[in-house]
Amino acid sequence: MKKTLLQGITIIVMFFSLWFIFAQIEWTKVLDTQKSTDKMEEHLGELLWRFFQESEREINNPFIVSSLDSLKEKVCFENKIIHPSIKIHIVENEAINAFALPDGHIVIYWGIILNSMVQEELSGIISHEIAHTQLNHVMKKLIKEIGFSTLVSLTTSNNGSDVIKETAKILSSSAFDRSMEKEADIKAVEYLVAARIAPKPYADFLYRISLNDNEHLKYINWMSTHPEYTERSEYILDKIGRNKYINEPVLHAETWNKLQAALL
Amino acid sequence: MIRISHFSYDPGEHEAENASNSYLMSLIAIIAGLPLPLLNLLATLGFYLGNQKGTYFVRWHCTQALLSQLSLLLINSVGFWWTIAIIFADESITDRYIAYIIVAVLYNIFEFIATIYTAIQTRKGIHVEWFFYGRLSSLICKSDL
Repeated sequence: MKKTLLQGITIIVMFFSLWFIFAQIEWTKVLDTQKSTDKMEEHLGELLWRFFQESEREINNPFIVSSLDSLKEKVCFENKIIHPSIKIHIVENEAINAFALPDGHIVIYWGIILNSMVQEELSGIISHEIAHTQLNHVMKKLIKEIGFSTLVSLTTSNNGSDVIKETAKILSSSAFDRSMEKEADIKAVEYLVAARIAPKPYADFLYRISLNDNEHLKYINWMSTHPEYTERSEYILDKIGRNKYINEPVLHAETWNKLQAALL
Repeated sequence: MIRISHFSYDPGEHEAENASNSYLMSLIAIIAGLPLPLLNLLATLGFYLGNQKGTYFVRWHCTQALLSQLSLLLINSVGFWWTIAIIFADESITDRYIAYIIVAVLYNIFEFIATIYTAIQTRKGIHVEWFFYGRLSSLICKSDL
């Protein structure tokens, strides 16, 4: 009995010792795991954005693009996010929709810009999508919905047009899970506060959209992909609390009005 | 780690075949069961229960085959759920994780080879005892005599 116990302990000790010895090697550096993951995400982001480019019309008006970039850069700069890593694409579509793609691509439909009453609302939406990219929600969602092996095969072969279409559909018109949405909302509020942008208009935007009547419902894609919006607006307000936040508008009032007019 | 020893009696042809089958059962199911070797454990357990009324030689080897599968299940389960946590949760790939997977793979290969070797030897009626599992089997499995 004693000898059996001793042999059992020997096997366990051998296993853990071997594990300990192997763990001394810096495998992540040797195998460069981060680089290969980043490369896959980069390829996937390009692939999916190319798909949207072919099916939607991108707005390249320098004034509109630079206005949105100013909002993005302010949020990124104040939150130490490398801003070129976030690539905003504006699409000519009336739908109230915005979504994140892999590798920091963010697609914003002009419908959502037109439905933003003040620039802080739009900053809130951009912050929310940036939060999804920074919290790695996009890749997690894709792995969960279509599987890791499918993603790898998508980036290594050219025969996946149906899969690309399906992946694009998942990202543009289906929801992240509730916990991810909440995490991105809370992160967005933190980004806004750090950038000295009032976060309350973002909650107001969610609440206002939830009150929209049937006439607008056909355009409210963003809301269908971001469910429980009344609840979301409530927990954002809870997070803000009674605190008074500084608000330094990024764009001049005149520029904001000009931006809205340019899209009409 | 593996040694050939004398059994208390010389097993007959039919006994050797049955005892060898207990190892083969886990080998066949291991291919379908990886990375979570639940199938081969269930197959070995089924074979073990089915041979409870068998001769001492057969029961002894069924026990050794089952016990070796239990440790494999434990090691592979940790690796499997760790991988799932990396894919779906906030865990990230670390040096410790990669080291664990390497050791787990080595353990699986070693066990696979040992199982094939034991199945061949047992089929010839030769008694093969594994380090620890052999002693444990002797403690659990009592002789009819």
